[in-house]
Amino acid sequence: MNDADQSSPKTPQKRTATSGRLKPAVLVVMSVLILVPSMVGFIMKFLEFIRTFQDSTDGAFAITPMLNYLLASLGFFSLLVWAAANGMFRDIEQPKHQMLANDARLNAERAASLR
Amino acid sequence: MSSATTNEILPRHADLVEERLVRWYFYAALAYLAISMTGGILMALQLIHWNPLNGIEWLSAGRWRMIHTNAVAYGFIANAFLGVLHWSVPRLTLQRVLSQKLSYFIFIAWQAVVLCTAAGIIFGPTLQAQDWVASLTDQLHLPMGLGAQGVEWGETPFWIDPVALLGLALVAANFLTPIARSKGSMYVTLWYFMAAFIWTFLTYAMGNFLPEYSLTGTSAGAVGGLFIHDLVGLFVTPLGWGTMYYIVPIILEKPIWSQGLSLVGFWGLAFFYPLQGIHHFLYTPIPMFLQYGAIISTIAVEFVVATVIINFMGTLWGDGRKVVTNLPVRWFYTGMIFYFITCFQCALQVTLTFQKLIHFTDWVVGHAHLVMFGVFSMWIFGMMTYLFPILLNKPWYSRRLCEWHFWLSAAGVFIMFLDLGLAGVFQGYYWSSLQPWDVSVTGSQPFWITRMFAGLMIAGGFLCFLWNLLRTARGRSTDSPTAVSAPA
Ligand code: HEM
Repeated sequence: MNDADQSSPKTPQKRTATSGRLKPAVLVVMSVLILVPSMVGFIMKFLEFIRTFQDSTDGAFAITPMLNYLLASLGFFSLLVWAAANGMFRDIEQPKHQMLANDARLNAERAASLR
Repeated sequence: MSSATTNEILPRHADLVEERLVRWYFYAALAYLAISMTGGILMALQLIHWNPLNGIEWLSAGRWRMIHTNAVAYGFIANAFLGVLHWSVPRLTLQRVLSQKLSYFIFIAWQAVVLCTAAGIIFGPTLQAQDWVASLTDQLHLPMGLGAQGVEWGETPFWIDPVALLGLALVAANFLTPIARSKGSMYVTLWYFMAAFIWTFLTYAMGNFLPEYSLTGTSAGAVGGLFIHDLVGLFVTPLGWGTMYYIVPIILEKPIWSQGLSLVGFWGLAFFYPLQGIHHFLYTPIPMFLQYGAIISTIAVEFVVATVIINFMGTLWGDGRKVVTNLPVRWFYTGMIFYFITCFQCALQVTLTFQKLIHFTDWVVGHAHLVMFGVFSMWIFGMMTYLFPILLNKPWYSRRLCEWHFWLSAAGVFIMFLDLGLAGVFQGYYWSSLQPWDVSVTGSQPFWITRMFAGLMIAGGFLCFLWNLLRTARGRSTDSPTAVSAPA
């Protein structure tokens, strides 16, 4: 149920220019905000885990959740490396335009087939 | 995301998408939601001493509660997302699913899994109490009873677990094949979906096998914590966000603000979500360093959430009016605001200071309703509001009923959330002031009565939707695709 005005074209020049500058900045800030504290937290916890594991029986008991996590993360880390090596992030913004274009064409084809 | 160029011939929509299956999944989802809401209302009635089914053992409130939660997770949300996947994955990849026959098989098998779970919950304990069943269980050396298991969200009887896991493996194979066959760089939705197939399989296996067969005591508790949280974060969340990244740009007719930012969010979720589950068990005998680890990764995920919110607000920028005029967009963005509230709550809840007060109280139940209904169900309803007219080739019978559905749902869940949050604070203070348990139960009555009415509002909205859908399905088809998407 879409309203009739939805097809009106927009994206004024000014807005595009501002968001063009804003996007890389937001991207960098968010990456740093997410990755740095998370990595520091993670590494600290991991070292603590190894120490506890060596020192007491408490550690053995924590192995299952940690192993689960490491296995899953290792898989995703490999995927990240594979994706980067295969150029998935080279033209990072391209897939979003392609997706919209394909969807519009599929809709048009479907509509035509109904007539 | 297949990178077909503008001149390349695309496959036909009809060759890619099996629309009948999408409809079936949606109908199944709605049927389970009706059952789940009945369970919720019965449980709510029980808590205000007004249960009409009192005295009927196999319809007792404890069993209905499990029906309520299981029907929502595995019946409503899983079926609805499977419907969405059958629509979106082939259109995004420009490839068919692995096998259309397999898709139908999975549909039937999944309904069997959900219905057997319900049967296990309702009849299992009564059946287990029969002498002949007990001796059969002994003779066959069955590891546990036939009914529901005592694992939160893993109540599925043990004999269904392997079948459900096989079903999840088949779902993964069916959808990962087109994703693997697609050409070019992937759109963010496909990253989320791909991860969801892998995570759901692993999460289900972890939660339904480790605590039952190999772990005991606090280790089992820690894994249980990972399981319940990962079900929300690694099954429902990636499917939900993947769906939003797909549909919002399509309806707004402009690309997502930043695909780069969306990928930062995706990889953040991939690496930092899985450790969080233990935050459900703060102050338990689980070692403190694991509890602190969970707290830190929860805070990291708050940033991940911020990337998603920034991205969707950036996409909406300049089109704010659509939230008022376009119903699916309104469902989606209301869900996003609720998502932001639940995540903000999480940031508070995860601190030990806050946990002292709210742990085990109705605060958590309010939080659960806001996230499961206020967020993910809202997105699903937005999707259904958008897709049903297309799938049925008929415009909605009544725009007014659509509006009622939205407003009753949004107001109902918000009232329920505020009411239960407040109830939780009261309960926390009753307990910490060491008042007798009964005092906290009596003190909760006004809140539980309010919750009952909020629940009835949600159910009323849902009935409007069902009635509207029925009338729409019975209405005359149109061959004009624009009429389908115009307001009734
Ligand atoms: C008809 C409206 C509803 C009513 C009256 C209702 C009522 C209830 C009640 C009484 C409980 C048990 C709380 C307790 O044990 O103290 C519950 C739990 C739950 N409900 Fe609902 N509910 C409704 C709709 C929904 C919907 C639509 C969803 C999800 C889409 C949902 C998700 C949940 C979840 C996840 C829990 C478990 C909470 C926890 O364990 O913390 N409910 N509900």
